[in-house]
Amino acid sequence: MADKRESGRVKELQQRRILDEPARRRRQRKALEALEQDNFQDDPHADLKMSKKAPKFEESIEIGNIGQISSAKKKKKNRTEYFKYRLKKSFAALIEEEQLLSTDPPNYFSASTPPSKFPERHFCAVCGFPSSYICVSCGSRYCSVKCLGTHQDTRCLKWTA
Amino acid sequence: MVVIVLDNGAGTAKVGYSTDKQPRVIPNCVTKAKNVRTRIFIGDQIDECKDLSGLYYLLPFQKGYLVNWEVEKQVWDHMFGKDMLQVDFNEASIIMTEPYFNFRSIQEAMNEILFEEYQFKSVLRTNASYLSQYKKNQDNSQNPLCTLVLDSGYSFSHIVPYLKGKKLAEAIKRVHVGGKLLTNHLKEVISYRQLMVMDETYVINQLKEDVCYVSTQFMKDMEIARKKGSENTVMRDYVLPDYTHITRGYVRPIEETTGKAQGNEQIIRMNNERFAIPELLFHPSDVGIHEMGIAEALMLSVESTSKEMQPHLLGNILLTGGNCYLPGFEERFYMAVRSMAPTEFDISMTLPKNPVTYAWEGGVQLANDKDFEKMLVTREQFEEYGHNICLEKFDV
Repeated sequence: MADKRESGRVKELQQRRILDEPARRRRQRKALEALEQDNFQDDPHADLKMSKKAPKFEESIEIGNIGQISSAKKKKKNRTEYFKYRLKKSFAALIEEEQLLSTDPPNYFSASTPPSKFPERHFCAVCGFPSSYICVSCGSRYCSVKCLGTHQDTRCLKWTA
Repeated sequence: MVVIVLDNGAGTAKVGYSTDKQPRVIPNCVTKAKNVRTRIFIGDQIDECKDLSGLYYLLPFQKGYLVNWEVEKQVWDHMFGKDMLQVDFNEASIIMTEPYFNFRSIQEAMNEILFEEYQFKSVLRTNASYLSQYKKNQDNSQNPLCTLVLDSGYSFSHIVPYLKGKKLAEAIKRVHVGGKLLTNHLKEVISYRQLMVMDETYVINQLKEDVCYVSTQFMKDMEIARKKGSENTVMRDYVLPDYTHITRGYVRPIEETTGKAQGNEQIIRMNNERFAIPELLFHPSDVGIHEMGIAEALMLSVESTSKEMQPHLLGNILLTGGNCYLPGFEERFYMAVRSMAPTEFDISMTLPKNPVTYAWEGGVQLANDKDFEKMLVTREQFEEYGHNICLEKFDV
């Protein structure tokens, strides 16, 4: 009989999943990366297939000069291809390259600022007002029981990384 | 001499001839519209688009640096081409701006494109803040020794000190908060609290420009925003555009702020978001970016210069970039710097009438400088000496 006597609150607490520190940091990083995104949605023209062969309106084809035009065009195209290939570097690649060069400061890295010397302020993840409490499961901030309820119903562990 | 000034920002490019009164400010991107499937919009062609909902952006810049040349080239072709400036490249020189600590490979690519692809007669590559402080010095008869430029743009904000027109690279400071981050954060906040607007970058950016402000009494404004009814003087209703009847979003007058939509329109209630979003410029840690705010970064920059210079820098601060348009920005920035700077120093700030085009205007003045031609690299020189001559001559 003794094993049946247990507190509902304790049981609930034990079942609750709690994100560990690395998972919380991962979440935070993802949220910050989202702030750098150019677009949230997918390319609306992704399914369009443009026919490359069809002449454009601004192009005029004069008979007799076709050979010349096409060679000039080819050259231009090669050049564009060259730029595409030569200049295609992501920001991450550029940073890596800069690190490898390891030029003396001042450089890109010396210009970054350290964390502020002022204490961090905290705001409720739901309503945006100053908050005093931390969600036990995921570490988000909340300010009231009402906001905690909203947080648990919508965000807390809904899309867990 | 024909000179083109191009302040090539990550958000907007400011471009025009040195004889123009005003530059053209055009979005530096290629846009695709959800409901227009027959074409794309290059730069300011977006003005021809009637339905601006769900715009998809192709941006040449990533984190403030030019990485997507394919897109950039389309925008430049459009800018220099027959639709706009109709440049005769053989006769034209160009003043081109680039970010601080631009990467070597980007600089070389830039040289190649300007000299080999477009074949400009001569080129000057520089930083936007150089042009800004040049203009400031020209317009000011006293000709101060030092200028401290805050350049708060689309991708990030920089603090750049200048001594007699020479930038002090070791004291430049960067804060990774810019207009793009503010808009994206606002999008995220509204989408969670009210209405899904993650796809509506264009609309929400307008919303930000229309109703956001920098608070000069942050905690007090938070208290006001908590109040209900007419006591809450922060709350605003913003009517979203639907691009059939309403072609642009607008703020409803305070008397009519009820929080209820009329008819078929959709509204967004802006409360503490109005000032909590721009607050990130001063407290990046509010969203977990472990960096100083711009005012603190300014003090860090000043403190890393020599003692003699510090009062001169603090006495001549110049605010540029689109974020300076936020109402209350100058006042708050002054308060924040004043609270951190030594009391014996005077602080003086200048907010130009148009902080976005100020650098471009400086470029125009520079083009009329008697020493301007000496600063340029000509195409012949580039063909003779290659990238090295650009490295020597351009202070970027």
